[in-house]
Parts: sequence; C-alpha cells; structure tokens
Amino acid sequence: MWLLAALARMGSALPSQSDDLECLRRLAAGDQGAAADLYDRHARPVYSLVLRIVGDESDAEDVLQEVFAQAFRQAARYDASRGAVVAWLFMMARSRSIDRIRSRRAHPESQRVESDPSIDALPGVSQDAAASMLDDEQARTVRRALGALPLIQRVAIELAYYEGLSHREIAERLEEPLGTVKTRIRLGLLKLRDVLSEGRP
Amino acid sequence: MSAPHDELKVNAAGYVLGSLDADERRLFEAHLAECAECAAEVSSLRPIVGVLATAVPQVTPRAEVRARVLGRSASAVVPQRSVSWLPIAAAVVLAVGAAMYVARVQRQHADLQKQLAQAQAATAVLVAPDLARIDLQGQTAAPDAMARALWSRTRGLVFTVTNLPALPAGKVYQVWVVTAQAPVSAGLLVPDTSGGGTVYYMTPPDIAPPVAVAVTLESAGGVAAPTGDRYLVGAPVPGV
Repeated sequence: MWLLAALARMGSALPSQSDDLECLRRLAAGDQGAAADLYDRHARPVYSLVLRIVGDESDAEDVLQEVFAQAFRQAARYDASRGAVVAWLFMMARSRSIDRIRSRRAHPESQRVESDPSIDALPGVSQDAAASMLDDEQARTVRRALGALPLIQRVAIELAYYEGLSHREIAERLEEPLGTVKTRIRLGLLKLRDVLSEGRP
Repeated sequence: MSAPHDELKVNAAGYVLGSLDADERRLFEAHLAECAECAAEVSSLRPIVGVLATAVPQVTPRAEVRARVLGRSASAVVPQRSVSWLPIAAAVVLAVGAAMYVARVQRQHADLQKQLAQAQAATAVLVAPDLARIDLQGQTAAPDAMARALWSRTRGLVFTVTNLPALPAGKVYQVWVVTAQAPVSAGLLVPDTSGGGTVYYMTPPDIAPPVAVAVTLESAGGVAAPTGDRYLVGAPVPGV
C-alpha cells in the first residue's frame, strides 16, 4: 500500500489554485517564465481532453497551442471569482476542440478517414500506461462513476460533452424523442453527481 | 408567459453542458431566475461537467509542442528548471521496483477501462459518417420485443433492445449480422431484468454488406452459426 500512500501525497502536492493565480499575475506583469510554469502545470490534462475530443494528434497539438495562447493573452482579465484556473483552461479547451470537429464535420472532404479516434484513443494504445496510473483521485472516482452508468446514458453524455452535439442533434442521431434524450442525460448527470458526492468523506 | 417547471426542469443538464438550442437556453435562463429548485440543480451539476474533463485517458503532449506554445524554436534548449515534478516522481517510484505492483493496479483498472472504451466506441459509431440503421421486429417467440441496430463498417455496432423474455437457464441471446454469404456473430446479449439493454459490438471491418440483423436464443457461451429460435429480425432501412 506504500505506493498508494505515496500517490496520495503527490496528489495533495498538485499545483493549487493560489499558485495558478500567482502565475496569471506574473503573466499579466509580462514575466515570460510564468507562461512556462502555467504550461508545465496544465498541458497534460488539457491536452488529454483536447485529444479525446478532436481524436487526432496533430489537430490536438494545434488546439493546445490556441488554448494556451488565449490563456496568455487573457491572463490579465481573468476573474478569480469565476472559478478555478484549471476549469477555465478546460472550458476554453473544450470549446475550441468542439469548434474544430464541427468545422471538420462541415467540410467532410478534409476528414482523415484513416485515423479513427475510437481506435486511437483506446486505453493502452496511445496513453502512457505508467503515467495514467498517476491520475489524481478525483479522475479515478469520475471514471468509476461513469463506468457505473447504463451504457445508453454514458453514450448520451459523451455525445453531448465530448462530441459537442446539442440535445436536438443527439435526438436526431438516435431517432428518439427530444424529451427522452434530455431525461436520459439529466438522469445520468444526476447519478454521477450522487455517486461522486457519496465518495466524499 | 413561462412554461411550467415540470416541462423545463429536464433542461438543467443540457444547460450546464451547453447542449441546448439558443431558444431553449433563453427560456430556461428566464425560468432559472425565478425557480430556486432548478437553480440549485444547475449549481450542483456544474462541478460534474467540470470533472468530465478529467475523465479521459491522460496523454502527455510531445515535447516539441511546448516549444511551439512558448514561442521558442524546437531546437532551442528548453530550460529544465520548471519541468513538472510528477513524471520525475513517477520515474523514481517505478525505479525502486514497483513494477509488479504497477501491473496489479493496471489489471484492476483494466475492466473499468474496457467499459469506458466501450462507451467511447459506441459514441464513435453514432457520429460515424457511414452510419446505417436496422430496426428489428419481435418474432413468434417474442412478439413484443423490439430492437434497433446502428452500424458503421469502420466503427462497429450499437444494439438497443427492449422487451426480450427472461433468459432460460443455460441459454443466452446471440446477435447476428446476416450477410449474403453467412450470418456473422456480433456477440452475446444478456438483457437486464426488464428485458432491455444497449450493447456495443465490434464487427469485422471486411464484413460483406448486411442484408439483415437477427437475434437467436442459443446455448450459454454462444455458437459459431445460428441454431436456435429467432427472437428478432430486421433488414437495413434503405437510404439511412
């Protein structure tokens, strides 16, 4: 168990919100080292989310670059009352990633058929196995909770969150009534919420 | 004129996910201003949407990207001073002989990873450019049963079923993709207690175009070619 205890200690040593805010203050003051610090703290989780959504390494690298460029530009205007810096980065990452796949869907001729994200992103294929073990406790809990949802609820949530489809688009895609889709996604998120809050001491 | 709470409360999840149409969003925002219950649900769901961002396989970007992002040329020396301690700590942990322990932890994760990979694969089917739909009707053995197969040659089969009779002991349902040559087994199907369920099956990418999808009742463990009664049968919907 010593390894788990060591991992827990690592988890508590993860960069905190106050370090992030300090980083943004230094960025706003023109300290170039702060850009590197922000990148080194968050590039991996942000890149992982982007790659999950866009499914293609080279697109994911472009989007990652856009997200950090935006963060560096807007550091001075960041409002701490809006929430955690990492949540802000995730929000920008998701929205830019979804823009990217939407424009790819709108121009299907540019689609790279040979790179199938569902295959590339399968565990063990493209991830660093040793490092994936070091996910923080929250990520593990979320995955466990997601794993416990009925497949149809998980799929609906994934279509909404990772594929950026609207409820209406999901309903059209599944040829199901809009209300059914909405209910399913709501029940799935509520269940996730309940499982995750049970997990807290 | 605002629509009633019962009609609108279902939009809370879509609101936090950003999945509502513009009209729906405006309606729901107006409702939020006057409904404490929905406002509470929205604030309780916000963090859940936040953590979905972390529930993905963790991948480190290539080192060259760091140089690009930080506006340095890839050939420039990257200062090591601020390199994350996490990979270093991991290297140390692994180096002191935890390899066997790592293998065990990964095995424990394997089942869960498999489930999540399934959901991700199923999602990929639904957004596939070559998506085909096949509706199945219940046969004599199960007149109330209904099913829908969504199939992509490159990405596999998502199969949703309702009202299948409970399985007799020692039996299992088996799903078949019927081609002009032969029925190809997609996989086994064990419905939930209500006789329903949704499953994802990988299908061979070189499979001939399906002329039908069928479900039969077979001995536990499944069979190489269908022998049992047909419970559900359906043909592809033209033009979908």
